[in-house]
Amino acid sequence: MSKQKIITLAICVAGLSLIAYSFFSREKEIDFNTQVKPIFNKKCISCHGGVKQQGGFSVLFRDEALAATKKGRPAIIPGDPEHSEFIRRIKSNDAEVRMPYKHPALNSSEIDILSTWVKQGAKWGTHWAYQPVKPVEVPDAGIQWARNDLDKFIYAKLQKEGLKPSEQADRATLLRRVSLDLTGTLPDDKTAQTYLTAPDENAAYQTLVDHLLASNQFGEHWASNWLDIARYADTKGYEADGNRSIWQYRDWVIKAFNADMPYNEFITDQIAGDLMPNATDAQFIATAFSRNSPSNDEGGTNNEEFRTAAVLDRVNTVWAGLMSTTFACVQCHSHPYDPFKHDEYYQFMAYFNNTRDEDEPREYPVLRTFNDSLTLKLNQLTNWVKTTSNENEAQRIRYFLRTGSPAINSNSVDNLVNAEITNHSGDLFFRRNASVRLARVNLQDVSQLILRYATADKGGHMQLRLDAANGPIIASWGVDTTKGFKNGTVIFPKQQGIHDVYLCFQNPSLKSPMQNSVYLDWFYFSPQFPGVGKPGYAESKKLFNSLLDANVPVTPILVENPATMHRNSNVFIRGAWTAKGRVVQPSVPKSLAFAMPAGEPQNRRGLAAWLTDKRNPLVSRTMVNRLWQQLYGAGIVETLEDMGSQGMEPTHKDLLDYMAYQLMYDYNWSIKKMLRELVMMATYRQDSKLSNELKEKDLYNKLYARGPRVRLSFEQLRDQDLQIAGVLSHKMYGPPVMPWQPKGIWLSPYNDAVWVNAVGEDRYRRAVYTYLKRTAPYPSAVAFDGAQRQLCTVRRITTNTPLQALVTLNDSVYTDLSRHFAARMKLEGGANIDNQIAKGYSLMLYKSIPPGRLQIFKGLYERSIHEFAADKSKAAAYMGDRQKPVKPEDAALALVAQTMLNLDEVLTKN
Amino acid sequence: MTRDELNTQRLVKEATEKQAQANSRRHFLKESAMGLGALAMGSLLGGCGSMFSQPNTKIAYDPAHPLLPKAPPFMGKAKSVIYLHMAGAPSQLELFDFKPELMKMDGQDCPPSLLKGKKFAFITGVPKMLGPQANFAPRGQSGIMLSDNLPHLSTVVDEISFLKAVSTDQFNHAPAQLLVHTGTPRLGRPSIGSWVTYGLGSENQNLPGFVVLTSGGSFPDAGKSVWGSGFLPSVYQGVQCRSEGDPVLFLKDQDGLDRDLRKASLEAIKQADQQQYEEYNDPEILSRIAQYEMAYRMQISAPEVMNINDEPQYIHDMYGTQPGKASFANNVLLARKLVEKGVRFVQLFDWGWDAHGDSAHNSLNIGLKNKCRAMDKPVTALLFDLKQRGLLDETLVVWGGEFGRTPMMENRNGVQNPYKGRDHHTSAFTIWMAGGGIKKGFSYGETDEIGYYGISGKVDAFDIQATILNQLGFNHEQFTYPFQGRPFRLTDVAGKVIKPIIA
Repeated sequence: MSKQKIITLAICVAGLSLIAYSFFSREKEIDFNTQVKPIFNKKCISCHGGVKQQGGFSVLFRDEALAATKKGRPAIIPGDPEHSEFIRRIKSNDAEVRMPYKHPALNSSEIDILSTWVKQGAKWGTHWAYQPVKPVEVPDAGIQWARNDLDKFIYAKLQKEGLKPSEQADRATLLRRVSLDLTGTLPDDKTAQTYLTAPDENAAYQTLVDHLLASNQFGEHWASNWLDIARYADTKGYEADGNRSIWQYRDWVIKAFNADMPYNEFITDQIAGDLMPNATDAQFIATAFSRNSPSNDEGGTNNEEFRTAAVLDRVNTVWAGLMSTTFACVQCHSHPYDPFKHDEYYQFMAYFNNTRDEDEPREYPVLRTFNDSLTLKLNQLTNWVKTTSNENEAQRIRYFLRTGSPAINSNSVDNLVNAEITNHSGDLFFRRNASVRLARVNLQDVSQLILRYATADKGGHMQLRLDAANGPIIASWGVDTTKGFKNGTVIFPKQQGIHDVYLCFQNPSLKSPMQNSVYLDWFYFSPQFPGVGKPGYAESKKLFNSLLDANVPVTPILVENPATMHRNSNVFIRGAWTAKGRVVQPSVPKSLAFAMPAGEPQNRRGLAAWLTDKRNPLVSRTMVNRLWQQLYGAGIVETLEDMGSQGMEPTHKDLLDYMAYQLMYDYNWSIKKMLRELVMMATYRQDSKLSNELKEKDLYNKLYARGPRVRLSFEQLRDQDLQIAGVLSHKMYGPPVMPWQPKGIWLSPYNDAVWVNAVGEDRYRRAVYTYLKRTAPYPSAVAFDGAQRQLCTVRRITTNTPLQALVTLNDSVYTDLSRHFAARMKLEGGANIDNQIAKGYSLMLYKSIPPGRLQIFKGLYERSIHEFAADKSKAAAYMGDRQKPVKPEDAALALVAQTMLNLDEVLTKN
Repeated sequence: MTRDELNTQRLVKEATEKQAQANSRRHFLKESAMGLGALAMGSLLGGCGSMFSQPNTKIAYDPAHPLLPKAPPFMGKAKSVIYLHMAGAPSQLELFDFKPELMKMDGQDCPPSLLKGKKFAFITGVPKMLGPQANFAPRGQSGIMLSDNLPHLSTVVDEISFLKAVSTDQFNHAPAQLLVHTGTPRLGRPSIGSWVTYGLGSENQNLPGFVVLTSGGSFPDAGKSVWGSGFLPSVYQGVQCRSEGDPVLFLKDQDGLDRDLRKASLEAIKQADQQQYEEYNDPEILSRIAQYEMAYRMQISAPEVMNINDEPQYIHDMYGTQPGKASFANNVLLARKLVEKGVRFVQLFDWGWDAHGDSAHNSLNIGLKNKCRAMDKPVTALLFDLKQRGLLDETLVVWGGEFGRTPMMENRNGVQNPYKGRDHHTSAFTIWMAGGGIKKGFSYGETDEIGYYGISGKVDAFDIQATILNQLGFNHEQFTYPFQGRPFRLTDVAGKVIKPIIA
């Protein structure tokens, strides 16, 4: 090639590039979110983001990216890529200078994107999930096929991919699918037959859906999922992992779903029910959402450490469970990818940092649930106080009787002399000549102390002293012996102001100075019981005491500290709770503060208002994504735990936003209406068979050209099989139950609690009622990916393991169910074995058995009869009682029944 | 049994063992092959890309065969791990860390300098110092000091690297155990065994890849959370094998159902599922068929491997095992059998090492000695046995507790405890490792003259985790799992491989 030609060519190339470049820059406005941010996240942010800011440069926020670096000048100059150090560095050939440092260079298109972006002004963008939900235009697609607007989004994308939706699934499949999805089990025969035989399938499907949504079983099913978010369990979590009586919260969730409580109210009550005016029992119980955090009763633990851990857990749960955001990242440093700063974590944490609970073993504060007759008495007492005294006093007394708050826990005292807190975390106890300090007690207008204590020793004496262990005595009394713990009342002259109070104890009759004499539980300072001298005083005071002493069910709840017990909230430096930084006030992160309604209080109530404000970009999106995920096995954003810039891309972002908008604006946060919309979709009703084309193009069904096909959850599997076997209990609510479990599962140290297999109906309760011990959950639940509920579980990852096969083949629960199922096949199927098997098949799947399957099971039946007839003792053993003679055909049918319950089509929602 | 006696036995049995070894290896290769060829599931591998596209993650998670053996990023020296955890935290001062100076202080009030700013689980006020409650002597060629609580282990010190200056920041059992096994003192993260089986799969598809065995009458204080899978798929959680009842839960067929009939029933399931597959074309169905086949094989393999009855008498003598009895010794022998069969990670927890002195069985002079007697012999036998089978080089054995014990005698709630005991201590304790490419007859790290603080060679739980992963062929900083938008790792942001103990 001649020199001239080379030059010409070079000019041409240069010219073309120039044209291409200007064409590129003129035509294409670089989009920060989809083009720039992914490069930052992948290639830059681990050294220049929320965790590290090498060279004083960060690309997390625009103001940081444009600020002066350590070199004293900005690395990005908007509009001027040539003079931007940032661009120079990514283009450099010098390994010491070139970024990403010690990593492969950016490719030319990445460099082009970043250069053009700087040239265009380095405009920042907000990740889609942090922008308020706006109305979305419905695509004009699939008009013929779509059953509602949601379908059109699906169709439009299928069209783009050159795919067509599948046919509608047959009635039986649809019946089973929608029942499992809405109620978590199979419908009763009548419901099934009505739908299967109705002349107008479409109308019948609507009726079916409405029927399922209205059934009590709806709430039981949807509660299971929410309880994963709420990390509900029946034990505390660490070491001894003792019982926690918090099942009323589980019942509250079931009732809320069944009543179709709007999702915004559902959240509000759980976050701040206790702060609502005239909070009901239900509202208090809802706040147990936050009390589901694990707590640690291990001897020698620091209660404040685990109280703090619980508060962090509550923060992380709200963000992960309600907002699909990995806020826990911000605990130690600013968020590596998303717009949240380190201090903002602790500002948010401040919302939860002033609840009365202190990780002490009795789990105070608790709601005391009074039954109807006690409630009547409570109302009577409240009214009497209101009439004879005033409304405030009536409310104070009522609040104290219901919540025991605001009492001072005995294990929160200090300056102990001849006194100990059992193993640093349990009850306070006194020896001879003891004193302790109750710091900064509000004594304004106080003239009474109620204390809960226990002692077996006569001759004890106590005093309350002000400000010092030898300070002035304000009360002095003899200590009665008790049988167990008892509430005692001490009256003294009215006090003023806030004081350190010293509680002193002497008992000269104790022989040893080391004898533990008095155990103390809590202290409650208040004005005297009001209305002295008024008619009914004696009776009312008696009523007060009887209500205080009443033995009633309790549930741990949230109760806010009164102002005089306020805790400061600090930033934890690098996330270490002992390294306390500056004091912070409750607030939400600045990047999302736009959703905070004006005039809301700076407490959990305000927080709830922010969460449920329609401008909050995350709450509604997270919920519709979760509903979708429950139906299809995967969310529109598959990473339910992370909708941020590092989460997976939504498969149908517009649809997600459309649904989020619909949930809030059209359906006023009604979950039932939203779910109805979802299951009415043509998309949902498609057949789930995979064509070879789809297998190749969309194995994971991200385009929804077919219906969902997902393995049943542990709960669905159990509840389905109970229904098939005809033994499902419809008993609702109450303390958790213990269906059969093998021996040796519960072996916690320092805990002699035992699993006592339930009898009667309780053997066949729905899975949601099964006792969940955190350190030793129900084994078949563990095998089928059930959550351990130690932390908020945003989604379960479904696995497929041999241990699952062992459960449904050999767990006595399933063996027992298969015997019941066989009995039902025989009873309802008629004399003929073919009919019995066919009946069994239709009980499971609502359809007639394909001849191929019938042949298989009949073959197994005949073979089994042969073997069981040859050895009748085996037949008897197989039916559970070696002593009881059985017919070989009954044992054979039981084996067939068990085999059928293990079919893939039965373990799966087709 | 002395070392010489064991050596003699080894010579006598050598020929038979070699044969047995060859057999079992061949058998086990055959087993591993069975699960694979039958199904062409390659297509399933493809679609996970978007979910697992973190740059650091090199682990392929195949949902159809999550436990298939995988090669580590670099050649590790160890193929499997046996982790022996003495739950409750054994006293280093009565076992490994010889402190004659402490003896001189015995009975004296603890100097205020040791108490200032310190928090203890139980000690209050001013406790008394407590001298070592055991005699020490140099052992083996290496001359490593070991107490007479460990007469058997004393014969194998030349196989072991002792870490004398381990520390933790957790002084309560459950959080400290969680830190050791999951890298955080809080609940909810995957355990080291889960990480390892996630990263390496398992050599034997007929057995769980991560097996847990417990003894001592209780679970460890942190319960099943110390073998949980956290955010990893639950298939990687530890499977508890039991010495009573079914060796694996629900393994045994229903009474009255013999194998033939079970097989016939499984065959029926398989045929019906195949018909279902023809109709639905969903590879998940094939995967289910494979899992049922695996379950059937596990029903045969697990009882076989969990049955120690057929072990020769000399093995029982060596380990001190008694078939049919639930004991730590039996679990140790099972651990050997399991790694021999290709199980990746065997985790033992033995409860009851919490020698506070609040009762006889929790005392240094009675309880601890009993625990040592039950532990010393089988653990020694394990090292010998692995060695004579040629397995020690590729099996990493780790022994330790969750923290150490104070040089002070414990008082509780202000009262001297009735027996000699020590409180929880975070600043210094001993953990040891052997086999799997670890230096032999070596001691690393030193504590001060009363064993209160480490003064050199200090390591923590993260360092130990990093070292275990290193021996298996993982750089702990690059062995990550994408969760909540970021790559998580066992060692979080800490951990350094303890290079001085690597051979």
